[in-house]
Amino acid sequence: MPTSIPRGYVRMPDIEFQSPISHGPISTPDGSVSIEDETSTTKVVVRAAAGTAAAADLGVPYGQSRLRADGTLVCGTRPDEWTLFAAAGRAAEVIAPVDTDGFVNAIDITHGRAMMRVSGPKATALLAKVCNIDLADDMTPDGAVFSGSVAKVTCDLLRADRAGEASYLISCERSFGSYLFAALADASTEFGASLPAGLSIH
Amino acid sequence: MIVVNCPHCGPRNSSDLRPCGEVTTRPDPATASLSEWRTYLYLRENPAGWVTETWYCRSGCRRYFTIERNTATNETRSSEAS
Repeated sequence: MPTSIPRGYVRMPDIEFQSPISHGPISTPDGSVSIEDETSTTKVVVRAAAGTAAAADLGVPYGQSRLRADGTLVCGTRPDEWTLFAAAGRAAEVIAPVDTDGFVNAIDITHGRAMMRVSGPKATALLAKVCNIDLADDMTPDGAVFSGSVAKVTCDLLRADRAGEASYLISCERSFGSYLFAALADASTEFGASLPAGLSIH
Repeated sequence: MIVVNCPHCGPRNSSDLRPCGEVTTRPDPATASLSEWRTYLYLRENPAGWVTETWYCRSGCRRYFTIERNTATNETRSSEAS
């Protein structure tokens, strides 16, 4: 085990952020669906065993989310695991207040996960084409957090409606980000979107 | 398609999960005979009927849990977290 920081080590906050998704937002002419890259969103995963102060403080049950007063969105991603979303560049602020006493860790995964938002009146219909989760309002209401396969990529999803319209934040491993964006864009052609040059999964 | 009821995520398509086989009891390695150890590693009851199995929720909560599944009809019942 190395006891000191190896030469050449670069702190993640010092690396210029680069999204794996190289295309801009895609939307249909009638505005029924839009797909946007939101990878720069700060993402912090907190794993905290039951009974720890961190678990009690986060307090959001698995499958639900809650917006805190400081603008951080706390998602119960898995049992004893939470993902915290905040505006870009806020990882240190989000991690700092987490009480790490006990079996707890908090890790900045901003660079490691791609994230995109699918929104619009037909967002649910688009997602239903490539996701096997029941997206009905009574199963996955606004604020629901769930994981499943999207275009055969294992993803964490959050339903975060905007202005009364369905909206989903989808995050996956960074290396799948470019493919997943292209797959969602491809699925959106049914609703009238046209793909930019160079974006294709076929 | 088999619908498996994860205790955390609810009913999911079995393609979202990984079957880990019948629940068996691990013998004490210090005292088990070779025969007992071989039986533990390789031999399963595999009945045509109800069997208790471990499944892993790989696309959802990433937890192991046990269910009872009827191998003849693929009905499932009484899932619980491991």
